[in-house]
Amino acid sequence: MRILRSVRHKVCADGSFMKEFLLDVPVTREFFTYLGNFGQVEALPNVGKGFYKFEKPDWFSIKGFAGDTSVEVRFKKEVMDLTVDFVYLLFSTYRGDGDKFDLSVLKRREEAIGERVRKRLYET
Amino acid sequence: MLPTQKPLIYLNNAATSWPKPPGVLAAIAQSLSLPVFGSGRTTGTQGEDYLTLARDGLSAFLGGAPPEHLVFTHNATDSLNILISGFLAEKKEQCHVLTTTLDHNSVLRPLHEYEQQGRIRLDIIPFKDCFVSPDAVQDSIRPDARLMVMTHGSNVLGSTQDIRAIGEILHDHGIYFIVDGAQTAGHIPIGLKDLPVDAFVITGHKGLLGVPGTGGFFLRDPKTIAPVRFGGTGTDSFSLLHPRGMPERFEIGTHNYPGLAALAAGVEFLNETGLAIIREKGEKQTLFLIRELKKEENIMIYNDHPDLPIIAFNIKGLQNDDVGFMLARGYNIISRTGLHCAPLVHKAIDGGEGCVRLSLSWFTTDEECRFAADAVREIARNADSAVGPA
Repeated sequence: MRILRSVRHKVCADGSFMKEFLLDVPVTREFFTYLGNFGQVEALPNVGKGFYKFEKPDWFSIKGFAGDTSVEVRFKKEVMDLTVDFVYLLFSTYRGDGDKFDLSVLKRREEAIGERVRKRLYET
Repeated sequence: MLPTQKPLIYLNNAATSWPKPPGVLAAIAQSLSLPVFGSGRTTGTQGEDYLTLARDGLSAFLGGAPPEHLVFTHNATDSLNILISGFLAEKKEQCHVLTTTLDHNSVLRPLHEYEQQGRIRLDIIPFKDCFVSPDAVQDSIRPDARLMVMTHGSNVLGSTQDIRAIGEILHDHGIYFIVDGAQTAGHIPIGLKDLPVDAFVITGHKGLLGVPGTGGFFLRDPKTIAPVRFGGTGTDSFSLLHPRGMPERFEIGTHNYPGLAALAAGVEFLNETGLAIIREKGEKQTLFLIRELKKEENIMIYNDHPDLPIIAFNIKGLQNDDVGFMLARGYNIISRTGLHCAPLVHKAIDGGEGCVRLSLSWFTTDEECRFAADAVREIARNADSAVGPA
């Protein structure tokens, strides 16, 4: 799955920075289940075609409806420069429903970024 | 499950009303079809005098304010800045200023800036059951109180405040009274002529059905507010000091003629349709929505009987911005979520988390209200059982 472009952005009331990303294929329930390897996923599968929200505290959240080719990503602004590439990596690593993924690269990257995020937010 | 491919349902009219009456769109097009007529700024006689048209129409609509005492600005926030800054400009000593927790950041931020600069001591009067009581205002007045700025209608709770009773108390103490009517103008009769207010602020793009970038204020006694912006007016051009006559005292630079054409047309539409009829329809639809939403136990409504067509709510177990997202993406219903630029209201009603706001206009249909109610209820019914791991 690829992010084609960012189509809209705004600063939210809570200070987070929202970007709407346009994707090359629609998101699915399975995609959000995959995201669950890196944070928490909430779902209301009976609302519309299914509402899903991925939350990675201190990093970002991703929400969308199954079947939509766009998602809303809200970044914690203070560490957005550290985490934005990981969003692209999360999407590009997902090659499609049913595929098996080697998450080890992503996990190592997550750990490295996580350390920098923690230092930025809690030690400076 | 409700069908998701539906026409746009716009329920964010307390932010910016949409759609606009056809006459408003036509007026904008017409205003741009000929060179603009601006007194003192052209030898041309083509085109309407939109400035006068808007000023005369709006002053009559607001209840008989002298047209020259109606000043056009960019929006309500712009008006409030001019009025607050202009009032304080000539105050040599620190004074006591009052506002309320119902107020918008357009009031709170300028006042907090002046408080931080040490120019004023600010007291913020809390509301109870959606209203600021005149007694609470009375009790907050200190001997050096000089100014109160407050909203006429809450943009979150939809409650209109008793500005007549409050104004009478303030005037008994010689306190200047600025009222923010951004949410009420175009929804309820204002009656400026007899109202005990010193300045009344409006914006063009909400209930008055104009477009963004237009607003204004009525000022009873121009000498009470010092001009804080200066420049070209197209009048008295030999003078290197800014003219002090009204409305030039506060209006600088070239006007937003297409915006004023829209505002005049919006007011004309309101007059033709009738404010009482508009209000009655809005009340009926608002109460219908509230009644429907209350059928779900996990929907919390923050004002059961709003005076304005505004419904503020949360669904237990869901964040307000998630509900707004679901309404927009799943049902094509546009709402507004978050703090609505009124942080102190939210601190009082929802712990500062914010809420979802649905706000209606004359153009909202009964069918749209029914669909919106069903959509919110469907989300609410799914909330408690479904939140959790995917």
